[in-house]
Amino acid sequence: MEWSIIIDGLFTALEPMNMVWLIFGALLGTIVGILPGLGPATGVAVLIPLTFGMNPVSALILMSSIYYGALFGGSRSSILINTPGDGSSIAATFDGYPMTLKGQAGQAMSIAAMASLFGGIMAIFGFIFLAIPLAQFALNFGPAEYFMLFLFTLSAVVALSTGKMIKGFVAMFAGLAISTVGIDLQSGVHRFTFGVPHFTDGINFIVIIIGIYALGEVLYNMFPKKKGQQPKNDQAIGSKWFTKEQWKRSLGPIFRSGPLGFFLGVLPGSGGTISSLLAYSTEKQLSKRKDEFGKGAVEGLVAPESANSSAAVGSLIPMLTMGIPGSGTTAVMLGALVMIGITPGPLLFENSPDLVWTLINSMFIGNLILVIINILMVGMLIKVLRTPANVLYPIVLVLSFIGAYTLGYSTIDFYLLIIAGLIGLLMRVLDYPVAPLILALIVGGEMEQNMRRASIIYESPQAIFFASPIATTLFFLTLLSLSYPLILKLFKWRKGTGTGASM
Amino acid sequence: MQVVRLSMPLFFIVLSVAYALLILQLPQATLGDPLAPIYFPLAICIGLFLFAIIDLIQVMKEKGEKDTEDLQLLVQKSTLITIGVIILLCLAYTLLFDYAGFLLSTVVFLVVLLFYLNGLKKWRMNVLVTGIVSFSTWFIFSHLLEISLPGFGG
Repeated sequence: MEWSIIIDGLFTALEPMNMVWLIFGALLGTIVGILPGLGPATGVAVLIPLTFGMNPVSALILMSSIYYGALFGGSRSSILINTPGDGSSIAATFDGYPMTLKGQAGQAMSIAAMASLFGGIMAIFGFIFLAIPLAQFALNFGPAEYFMLFLFTLSAVVALSTGKMIKGFVAMFAGLAISTVGIDLQSGVHRFTFGVPHFTDGINFIVIIIGIYALGEVLYNMFPKKKGQQPKNDQAIGSKWFTKEQWKRSLGPIFRSGPLGFFLGVLPGSGGTISSLLAYSTEKQLSKRKDEFGKGAVEGLVAPESANSSAAVGSLIPMLTMGIPGSGTTAVMLGALVMIGITPGPLLFENSPDLVWTLINSMFIGNLILVIINILMVGMLIKVLRTPANVLYPIVLVLSFIGAYTLGYSTIDFYLLIIAGLIGLLMRVLDYPVAPLILALIVGGEMEQNMRRASIIYESPQAIFFASPIATTLFFLTLLSLSYPLILKLFKWRKGTGTGASM
Repeated sequence: MQVVRLSMPLFFIVLSVAYALLILQLPQATLGDPLAPIYFPLAICIGLFLFAIIDLIQVMKEKGEKDTEDLQLLVQKSTLITIGVIILLCLAYTLLFDYAGFLLSTVVFLVVLLFYLNGLKKWRMNVLVTGIVSFSTWFIFSHLLEISLPGFGG
């Protein structure tokens, strides 16, 4: 590894304009994350147009800082008002909110910020040592291997839609179907374009993403507020700094959950939600104070925060090295990267090392800045929670429309946005997972092209599965991931428990 | 409530049937395998149809089960009206955008939406938010980011 490239990346990240975007993104991401209902995916999706006029390095810095800023912010609303900004902040409500009820909101937020910082730093070191070997390994991938990798990613995401696998499959196939609209690159045949020239390049998946995440979210937030979801800002913040005793109790969970989150983040489909929940249940199993969990145990707060933060960094590895988005947010980021002319893949590390290492260094600096923002500006951030929803959501709507317009300069995309918003709302209410649809929509085109290239090379479609040891391994991993829920069910049935480990 | 639950699997079944009909009308490729552009969509179509049918059966079996809180809130008249009005305003914004340009259509869209959501009593806030959001986004996108947004008259 050439450390000089890493040092160069540090200096590029420290350039004044990049620092401005970094701080702006971290602050904006924190605010987006704090606002109930707006998660990192929505935050990045709505703000994509901002990156169009920027150079790729600054755009990547801005997007990633919004991403982990929103993760930090998401846990603030979990701790303060028991409302997670997105799935990965759910675990922070288990013990974070009880700490608030005990008058320890300030301590909860500062120690959660420290846990996120250390989780993030551990993952950055993991990234430095693992990303290049993984990128070099990815150079061995041909069309068959890529097809199998896409298949495995999709199956893993569907399999992890716990309890709703069928709906996950439906969402996945719907996403793949949308991805087939447009001119077929290999034969020139126009498919499902209905004679509309705007559709010859296909349906822009970012429009669908903005529609499902942003417009769907706005419509969902127009529901009358549920009990227990009304923001209460009258909780005492208490001391802004945690005690020595709390820090001592946190060290073990932070350093155990960081690597756990990182490895789960690297795996497609796992993402922040699973890693934070797994970190929480692992700490509960290991703890001598099991009875305190759920009542304000500091271990129960720091473990998911550390895991969540490191999973976010980990999930960037498959996205940057192989162009495989493992989560909704990285899918949105991948789309945005392609839009601004960055092609993720194994060659990115060879062709644009400056871009990659600037990003890594900016993540390191960004984590430090986020701790400062989240500890010193607690009072100001809490005021963000008081933004009336009826003011916030119309603004999100306007930003969504601008976002859709700037992608293709056509109001046809507005209609797609509205349809996607309605579908997003119904999917949410009727419990259909969105991630399989989004991932399938993004990788669908590449998946088909690789399948067709591979079937020409190997002369039969079924030969793709056994084209190489990598393809065969991925084929069996796909089978395993799809049968995993069944195996788990069987295992539980044999144990006679019927339920999983309680959270 | 069962009607709403059934709406999604039925929508996907209809979608897969329509998709199948469109696949059958696809022209053949003049280069290489003439049916090459059809294979992948066909596999997707079969998958979508099968899983949507299984989903439909599962949803039908759930008949009589307690509705989720979200579903109960969605089917409330007030929620449906609010969502309906927002969608209509979005469609009106879409139609206006090409003719009146970004600034005018956004001002109209925001002011109507904010007055609808917040009422007349908060007129100061509604007007202020409309003005600030419309003009600041116009300035940021058109001038700072140099992203062309349509002016008056499209």
